[in-house]
Amino acid sequence: MKKLLAMVLTTFFMSLSVNAQDFSDSKSSALTGKAWKAAAANNHKLVLAYTDKCIELYLKEAKKMQAKLTALPKGSQEEVSKLWALNDVGTCLFIKAESLLKNGDKAGAVKIFKLLVKELKFSQCWDSKGWFWSPASAAKQKIVELELDQ
Amino acid sequence: MKLCVKVTVFVFSIFVLSSFTAAEQKSQKVEVKKNATGTWRVYINDVETPIRGAGGVIQPGMLEQFKKAGGNFTRTWGIETLEEKVSGGKRYIDKAHELGIHVVAGMWIAHERHGFNYSDKAQLQKQRAEVRAAVRKWKNHPGIVVWGLGNEMEDPASQAGNPLVWKELEVLAKIIKQEDPKRPVMTVIAGCSAAKIKGVMKHYPSIDILGINSYGSAGGAGEALKSVGWKKSFAITEFGVKGFWEVPATSWGAPIEPNSTKKARSYYATHKLVCEINTGKELCLGTFAFLWGWKQEKTSTWFGMYLPTMEKLPQVDAMVKAWTGKWPDQRCPTILKVTAEFNGKIVAPAKKMLAAVEAVDRNGDKMTYEWLVVAESKVLSVGGDREGKPLSYPHLTLSGNDPECVFRTPKEPGAYRLFLTVRDGRGGAATANIPFKVK
Repeated sequence: MKKLLAMVLTTFFMSLSVNAQDFSDSKSSALTGKAWKAAAANNHKLVLAYTDKCIELYLKEAKKMQAKLTALPKGSQEEVSKLWALNDVGTCLFIKAESLLKNGDKAGAVKIFKLLVKELKFSQCWDSKGWFWSPASAAKQKIVELELDQ
Repeated sequence: MKLCVKVTVFVFSIFVLSSFTAAEQKSQKVEVKKNATGTWRVYINDVETPIRGAGGVIQPGMLEQFKKAGGNFTRTWGIETLEEKVSGGKRYIDKAHELGIHVVAGMWIAHERHGFNYSDKAQLQKQRAEVRAAVRKWKNHPGIVVWGLGNEMEDPASQAGNPLVWKELEVLAKIIKQEDPKRPVMTVIAGCSAAKIKGVMKHYPSIDILGINSYGSAGGAGEALKSVGWKKSFAITEFGVKGFWEVPATSWGAPIEPNSTKKARSYYATHKLVCEINTGKELCLGTFAFLWGWKQEKTSTWFGMYLPTMEKLPQVDAMVKAWTGKWPDQRCPTILKVTAEFNGKIVAPAKKMLAAVEAVDRNGDKMTYEWLVVAESKVLSVGGDREGKPLSYPHLTLSGNDPECVFRTPKEPGAYRLFLTVRDGRGGAATANIPFKVK
């Protein structure tokens, strides 16, 4: 009986933790990874929690990195990844905007997309298929797509 | 007798000369140059002509549909297409010209991935002779405004392309210009990697227009070109929806196809971005949407802007809007949402499943709904090579014409898609599909 109760309680608390935010690792890469997972699970609340945390902690550093650039950085994955704050905050802005859009907040999404384009246009995100993509370019595409009121 | 022969020869010569002159006069004046604002443009008979183009446009009735939508340029991939019979029994090139549509006459240039060897002199000579013969045959047709020298012959999967290919294109372009100095030459490549652009700049200076086939990153093509120093004009020669290689996939690797609503947005935005908004827009002559017709490539609906029944899809309406600023009077239905519990999931065989669609028709037309289970294509084609159609299972759809679908999953394990077609009964449709796997 005690064992059964322990199992039930453990399962209960584990289920809670799936939906609870976890900031134990607050590196920008960790927060961004968790934001992606939350987005894949359609957990809008968690997406906002992780993206907002990343933006809160690292936007200032991201802007500093952006200010030093005059063009989209080229090079190996390792080299481009040195701009960790720029890349992760840019990516988090994109994830946040996409999640807002999915949850019916078109105006909120466009606002974030525009912020991304204006402030962090040289951020990049690594695609596991083997290339970098530009969250700001993707955001620009989204802004124009959303103009097409179907 | 001798006088009679002389007179006959003289009259015949006058006739031949006048025919030749007449044909020359029929040919249009084509230039590629900057306009007053510094934007590159095609000029046809001194009229500035932005490209509102499409590729394909060869299936029955497509040229007429294209004209109606406001398109003005088409491109073909092989020279034999010019003689293909279209509706009314006319040749493609004659019908296009009759409708006032300008044709970029594509000549297929061999690919190494199909076995061609760019170090083999005999193969190169044969190809050169074919190009020369094609230009001689067609150069007097007024419907042709640009020569399309090759499509992705540098290998679509390569980042740099083989320098021998660029060098051979230079030889071929010179052959074209010897035979026909009046028309510009365009070569089409896959994507716009810096290495490819530099290869073209170094080895192929005779090119007039660079054609770029690009899907997910088409909007950024102008900027990519400028960043490596490209100064001539370019056109986006294939674009539209993200490629199946660029989208997320299910756990079993089936690429998730955007529905027609999302595709329409993508077509519209890409054209606007590359032509009007993004860096490098002043180099852009215009775009060719892909594909103005229908094609089996990964799925039966991925790239096509029409159904085989000739019903247009929202991507067509989006291009009309992009070209003219206005929606067409008769619009396609819009899919707002598709709900399916099995979307991207692994399910049991022979099990009943439910799906539902929310759609609207802006004209208020009554919509019909067709749901169909189709096997996932197993073909791994590259570069748009021809594919066969996978099997479909109409008997598995248990419900009728309804926005809610009841169907039974196949007994055979494997990957499938539930396809949805929404029709307005007035020539317009919308599509979506939901991938699932039976195990």
